[in-house]
Amino acid sequence: MSKQPLEMTVNGEPTEVLVQPYQTLLEVLREEVGMTGVKEGCGTGDCGCCTVILDGKPVTSCLVLALQAQSRPVRTVEGLGDGDALDPIQEAFIRHGALQCGFCIPGAVVMARALLDATPRPNEDEIRWAMAGNLCRCTGYTKWVEAIQDVVDQTTEGAMK
Amino acid sequence: MTETLAIGQRLDRADGRDKVTGHATYVADVKLPGMLHAKLLRSPHAHARILSINVERARALAGVRCVLTAKDLDRLEREPSSRARAILAVDRVRYHGQPIAAVAADDVHTAEEAIDLIEVEYDVLPAVVDPLQSLEDGAPLVREQATETDDSEALAHGSVTAGEVKVAGNKPTNVTSRVHYHRGDVEAGFAAADVVVEKTYHIGHVHQGYMEPRATIATWDAQDRLTFYVSAQGQFSIRSELSNVLGIPESKIKIFAMEIGGGFGAKIQPIIEPIAAYLAKRTRRPVKLVLTRGEDLIAATPAPEFIMEVKSGAKKDGTLTAVKARVIMDPGCFPGGPLNNACLLIGCLYRFPNLDVEGIEVLTHKPSQAAYRAPGAHHGTFAIESQMDAMARALGIDRFEFRLKNCIVEGDLMAHGEPWPNNGMKQVLQAMAEHPIWKNRASAPNRGVGFAVGGWLGGIQPASASVRMNPDGSLCVITGAIDLTGTNTAFRQIAAAELGLPAEDITVQTGDTDSAPYAGTSAGSKVIYAVGGAVQAAAADARRQILEIASHELEASPADLEISDGKVRVKGTAERSVSLSHIGSASTRYGGKYEPVFGRGSVAVTQRSPGFSGQLAEVSVDPDTGKVSILQYACVQDVGKAINPTLVEGQMQGGSVQGIGMGLSEELVYSKEGRLLNQSLLDYRKMTAIDLPKIDTVIVEVPSPFGPFGAKGVGEPPIVPGAAAIANAVRDATNRDFPDLPITPDKVVRALRQ
Repeated sequence: MSKQPLEMTVNGEPTEVLVQPYQTLLEVLREEVGMTGVKEGCGTGDCGCCTVILDGKPVTSCLVLALQAQSRPVRTVEGLGDGDALDPIQEAFIRHGALQCGFCIPGAVVMARALLDATPRPNEDEIRWAMAGNLCRCTGYTKWVEAIQDVVDQTTEGAMK
Repeated sequence: MTETLAIGQRLDRADGRDKVTGHATYVADVKLPGMLHAKLLRSPHAHARILSINVERARALAGVRCVLTAKDLDRLEREPSSRARAILAVDRVRYHGQPIAAVAADDVHTAEEAIDLIEVEYDVLPAVVDPLQSLEDGAPLVREQATETDDSEALAHGSVTAGEVKVAGNKPTNVTSRVHYHRGDVEAGFAAADVVVEKTYHIGHVHQGYMEPRATIATWDAQDRLTFYVSAQGQFSIRSELSNVLGIPESKIKIFAMEIGGGFGAKIQPIIEPIAAYLAKRTRRPVKLVLTRGEDLIAATPAPEFIMEVKSGAKKDGTLTAVKARVIMDPGCFPGGPLNNACLLIGCLYRFPNLDVEGIEVLTHKPSQAAYRAPGAHHGTFAIESQMDAMARALGIDRFEFRLKNCIVEGDLMAHGEPWPNNGMKQVLQAMAEHPIWKNRASAPNRGVGFAVGGWLGGIQPASASVRMNPDGSLCVITGAIDLTGTNTAFRQIAAAELGLPAEDITVQTGDTDSAPYAGTSAGSKVIYAVGGAVQAAAADARRQILEIASHELEASPADLEISDGKVRVKGTAERSVSLSHIGSASTRYGGKYEPVFGRGSVAVTQRSPGFSGQLAEVSVDPDTGKVSILQYACVQDVGKAINPTLVEGQMQGGSVQGIGMGLSEELVYSKEGRLLNQSLLDYRKMTAIDLPKIDTVIVEVPSPFGPFGAKGVGEPPIVPGAAAIANAVRDATNRDFPDLPITPDKVVRALRQ
């Protein structure tokens, strides 16, 4: 098989790479684009470690062929926040100690960002459903939920002022 | 005092920013120049003779640089004594997924393709999968000859104790070791009992569940020195083991420990590193080997299976009379597992005047085991805490009252005759009894409240650390301990407290095996307890040196000096002071007259500080579907002293959920032929965010006389009572016993129909 050109926008940057038709978006982001924050925990769409935002929607990038991202914007953990400023979700995960080994965290914070973009004020149940596809073995999820709720509360307070 | 400011603070993790931005680097993220990618051919059978292997087509594939089978490797034994030595199968495979051949290629896809081109002829042999069948005469033998038990991993946990009997008889058997703890006369004890409860408990193999699949890179340099990039819990221990397995001196091996994406006991033994070293040796290029999740589920090192037949008795007034148990542990195809821990926990948590606990280790044709957070303790605790509930019910005594009457306190004898050290079991039980889940429980159909308590004896191991002052007066703590859970942040707090500095002035670095002071494996809840003590001692030494330099500068006795606000000052005076940055620069600059500040701390703690955790669950059970829902959950734990409460809570919550997973959903399921049936995380069901409520945490602090600032090990205890608490809650909701974990919906529905 011969490689084919793939043009996509990764974290706002136009990106051109040659990829094999069988390569996943996960593999190309990690191996060709250098976005190693995107983690492979299973390769079968079960763990959520490779979650990225494709065209505004969260996807497990291990189940997306790279060429499906043709001409589309991709946002990875490296693209969260604004320059040196972290995304409020990233800040909250640190403040709440919502991370231990850290392997699942890039996927988790991307998923939480996608949740809040779509549903700015989720209740606990909505947070838990949204995060149910992101497995974490260290935290037991309590501090994840508290961190996300904290971001929601801060955003709500800001809106009321 | 500054000390009390640092200890007990909810300091953010120093590596938090790296981890939330994706900058933390794990082995799979590393690329070295010229690096090749490896794949393994694994046996589809649990037990088979290898008749032939043909690698010609694989070798001929473009991009393939090396293909190895057992006959290409020197030093391989037909009957290896440990899993790490079973690098590639020699003539016979003994578990599904055992590596038979290895390929290194330019990219991972080529390596995969080459694996598919290798042809193997097998003579499939009968496999023994069930440990009870493995005990029977005539069962297929897992090993052709008896070999010595491998206890290196138990030693890494600091948990090996007296009572183990190694088996080296002449009769062919799958039994590899036995333990036996005995006290008094159990038959007389049962005769004196008013209530005797007898049940058999079962917990199958579970996977430790770390999110990062195993990965390694091996590379040789021009001086024939071998470097590994590892995801491992202990860099010095993995170096020792690799030195043994590969026959290379430790001085010729260097370990770079990368970020580790979870280990929970599984990432102590080097099961993939040796083959990477061979491939790298042959190709003279760096070789990366990353397992797929499927490989990691099929053929890594799960926790052992346990069958526990337990009989216990008590008098009407709640006095225990005796416990008798037969514990069968199946560690898979290589010996070595936490049999003694499970047996000790059955006999040790409560004051049984008479006990007789026998443990038997028996091999099967399944992947060999590794530790899983408090290895063996959750197994034994599940059995004895189920028994305690059953006896309390039969006696009509409150479950807490019954436990409080019988729980051990300092000085009570353990099953092997040693006295219990200082511990907080009773305080944990008392705090649990006050928790709202228990106090506010109300009777409702299909709802129940259950709880359990369990513990970990505590690991011990010598450790050293150093504290170096930088020219700008900041300080750097250097240890060899792998940070799994935020221990480097706690080291920062310990050093800050000892030095009297703000934590921000201190960084913590994990060195590699060439540069770091010695530390044991991050396992057995001994990082803060042991290495933390070394950090404290090193910080005290650095402080002494700082005060020594300041005493010359200030012309005052060191005893009259104190460190505060980045300065050393004469106590009680504001004007006579010298800044730490001055001391840093004066002790490092060209022509300087002071020796650089370099604090050293070495400790060998030999006293254990057991940690206890108790957990309460309120559950509801759907009688139609059998689904168990957790409505409320709390973890109460004696941590001695919480150096960083946020990090301690994280340990308590994460450990609790692992215990809940063992209770409700997790089990590696093998076919009769020994093939793993649930090969993905969809089928091997771990707890997700939607399966759980918030885990409430209650920190109890009964200070350790030995740990830094009174701290005890925190990591192991919270996994211990989870499965038992869930089982007791489901029992309360359904009036049915569930001695066979996990309590899956089908088992619940079946039980409710009886």
